[in-house]
Amino acid sequence: MVLVVGSTMVLVVLPIARLVQIVLGEGARDLGEVLTAPGLGTAVLNTIVLAVLVTVIAVPAGTLMALGLRRADLPGRGFWRMAVLLPVVVPEFVLAYSWTQAYGRAGFTGALFGLEWEGVLGFGGVLVVLVVNAVPLAYLLAAVGLAARGEPNLERAARACGAGAATVLRTVTLPLLRPAIAAAAVLVFVLTLGTFAIPQVMGAPAGFTTVTTRIYADLARGSDPFTFIEAVTLALLLVVLAVLVIAPADTVLGPRLRVTRVAEAEGAPIVAARTSASRWMAAGLGCYLLAAVALPLLALVSAALTRAIGIPPSPANWTLDHVTSVLDQRTVEAVGRSLGLAFLAATLLTVLGGCVAVLERRRSGRWVGTLITLTLVLPGSTLAVALLITYGRWFGGTLTLVLLAYLAKLWAFAHRPISGALDRLPPEEMHAARASGASTLTAVRTVALRPLAPALLCAWLVCFVIALHEVTMSSLLYGPGSETLAVVVLNSQELGRIGQTAALSLLLTVLMAVPALLLWMVLRWLRTAHA
Amino acid sequence: MPESVVREVLDVRDLTVEYDGVVALHEASVSVGSGEVLALLGPSGSGKSTLLYAVAGFRPPSAGEVWLHGRLVASAHRVEPPERRDVAVVFQNYALWPHLSVIDTVAYPARRRRVPRAQARREALTILQRLRVAHLADRRPAELSGGEQQRVGLARALARNASLYLFDEPTAHLDTHVRGLFLAELVSRQRASGAGALYATHDAEEALGLADRVALLNAGRIVQVGTPGQVYAEPVDLWAARLTGPASVLVEGDRQLLVRPGWAGLGGDLSGRVSAVWFRGPHSDHLVETARGSLLIREPGPPRCRVDDEVSWSLHRHWALGA
Repeated sequence: MVLVVGSTMVLVVLPIARLVQIVLGEGARDLGEVLTAPGLGTAVLNTIVLAVLVTVIAVPAGTLMALGLRRADLPGRGFWRMAVLLPVVVPEFVLAYSWTQAYGRAGFTGALFGLEWEGVLGFGGVLVVLVVNAVPLAYLLAAVGLAARGEPNLERAARACGAGAATVLRTVTLPLLRPAIAAAAVLVFVLTLGTFAIPQVMGAPAGFTTVTTRIYADLARGSDPFTFIEAVTLALLLVVLAVLVIAPADTVLGPRLRVTRVAEAEGAPIVAARTSASRWMAAGLGCYLLAAVALPLLALVSAALTRAIGIPPSPANWTLDHVTSVLDQRTVEAVGRSLGLAFLAATLLTVLGGCVAVLERRRSGRWVGTLITLTLVLPGSTLAVALLITYGRWFGGTLTLVLLAYLAKLWAFAHRPISGALDRLPPEEMHAARASGASTLTAVRTVALRPLAPALLCAWLVCFVIALHEVTMSSLLYGPGSETLAVVVLNSQELGRIGQTAALSLLLTVLMAVPALLLWMVLRWLRTAHA
Repeated sequence: MPESVVREVLDVRDLTVEYDGVVALHEASVSVGSGEVLALLGPSGSGKSTLLYAVAGFRPPSAGEVWLHGRLVASAHRVEPPERRDVAVVFQNYALWPHLSVIDTVAYPARRRRVPRAQARREALTILQRLRVAHLADRRPAELSGGEQQRVGLARALARNASLYLFDEPTAHLDTHVRGLFLAELVSRQRASGAGALYATHDAEEALGLADRVALLNAGRIVQVGTPGQVYAEPVDLWAARLTGPASVLVEGDRQLLVRPGWAGLGGDLSGRVSAVWFRGPHSDHLVETARGSLLIREPGPPRCRVDDEVSWSLHRHWALGA
């Protein structure tokens, strides 16, 4: 209890309070000037427009995917279900950078087919890659919604009442999915507000700014107190925007989101169908993934291996120079720091997440669970700035501050799976253990720990994977000697070293792929354990 | 076609259904006439639901044919979707839509026939009144008891005005006392409409009591079809005998004789020893060890003897089981 309350104070409450205090206190007299600074209005508008468009495009796309991938007659369904999640495994930074290398000027498709898309740097590119990045999340939430509420017999009953496939979708499936779709929309909107890596890599070079990239630029310029106040103000503005969307959504959807029914195993065919539609669907999915993920990653490999930009990526021009040149002391140290930091953060987070999950089941501890869930909407930039102004005096530029930021940002990610597993644990099992003579601790150890183990592992891996490629907060908080690998990649990109950046990006991706693969296996284990 | 040619509402011919490479139903043939109830009796996993789902259009057959009113609706080559088949389904887990009120649920089939909303609701209310659940019209499924949910499920099926009803263990989740009421209602409504029905159940008493004919299913195969009296008194083998009710087997030479509890009585010229006695209320069951095997004898009233008593008994009737 003390640990949890203390941690929430240190990690969330105090920093946000300090943020508000600075903006309304020291920053108050500059507030008017800050809000009318040139370019700031554009950045805010860009951020809102992006968030709206990404939500409007990605959520229906993800929902359609979830509906399509439920068809039993889809060729290679198991493979597609995994493949559509691929963009999540690729770090946002790498996804953005690989797109610039694939479709940009003098890029991969340019060298091979003469196809170039100038707009890949700027609004268009940022929008498309943000959508690609958000679709898997929307898909996941819709798929979970389908599994929880879209029981096959509900749709069969509608068919047997005379409704055709389209009518069933309109009158039964989509109404059942409404809470999941709304939740996906809220989450995608808020995450897009706080996204940093993609607009930084694809927007900044073309002069396209968002709130997060402006915060980064403000803090990078450093000493000027005015830009500092501007960064702090923008950090607060992001939260305000997020809360403006969340608050009404939660009052409207909250009660419905909390009502879920567990249904029979997903994937049973709804009705007998033999159409070619599913083959077309598989082909469409394949093309999408090829263009959105496979080709950009290939371009990244090509950029890492090709001697110089502009020359054709043929074997004669291949070299390992870029790869060897980035594997220097600085990179190796950064990799070590990233792994160590992610390991420490994931371990501490699993403990903290577990504590909150247990605590929120008591009447007095319920608020902690709510507070932690709310941190999900705190943009990384906001948290980083808040932590910086609160603890910067003592820990500025150290790994400790970066670790604190990870803990604050990822707490909710650790809490959710553990809390969910506790929900599914039948209380009778614990009662039976107690009635058989076990003490509370023994009952937990012998009865509860085994069913909880996959969820704990899942929480640990989720935190590890996210911490490993985190760049929004790391890039604002690092100092000399505390760069993580993600920061090294970002710096390399800013210096315009294409080959090296591509090589580093691949390194980061490979580093991510291993724990991500483990995570996927754990999730499969979880699913089969339930069936 | 003239009515004399097509007497059957449903005709299933040599139907085979595979699911994930496993044969769930093997060359099943059954038919249902107008106004007739055919019970599908078998343990769980025997293929009852698979047969229902293939008739409804939820599962494609890999071989065989399904004919509804003389129209081919399913074969290995063509599958009519459920909405174009003249069937109504009542599900084991009710399958009520959580986002629709009771009245909108029951109005749903009429709405699909493009009946205007107000009229569809009026028709729905009439059906709900007939089933005595009109007071639930504005509730959501989550606010109903199991018995109420299943009545709403039945009302929805009746609103379909189908000529074939498919019941998938509709009473499996109901309490015993609700069950009897529901069954009586179900059969009277369905018969009044003149429609045929396929009724899947694993409960022998239910099947024998409600059906005109019973089909016994074992591991995806139909092993016997007959009237309730036939399948009870003349089962094709020991498995069928055990499925349809309490069965004792006496050995006579190389023959096995089925003896139902009422087919033997206490008192007579044969002897045995009582090994167990159960008082069942209206009657009592006595398990008697005889030279030819153990025998269950049912007598009205309280038990006539105690365990370990030597008793005499007689055999009134028996049925020689097939090999």
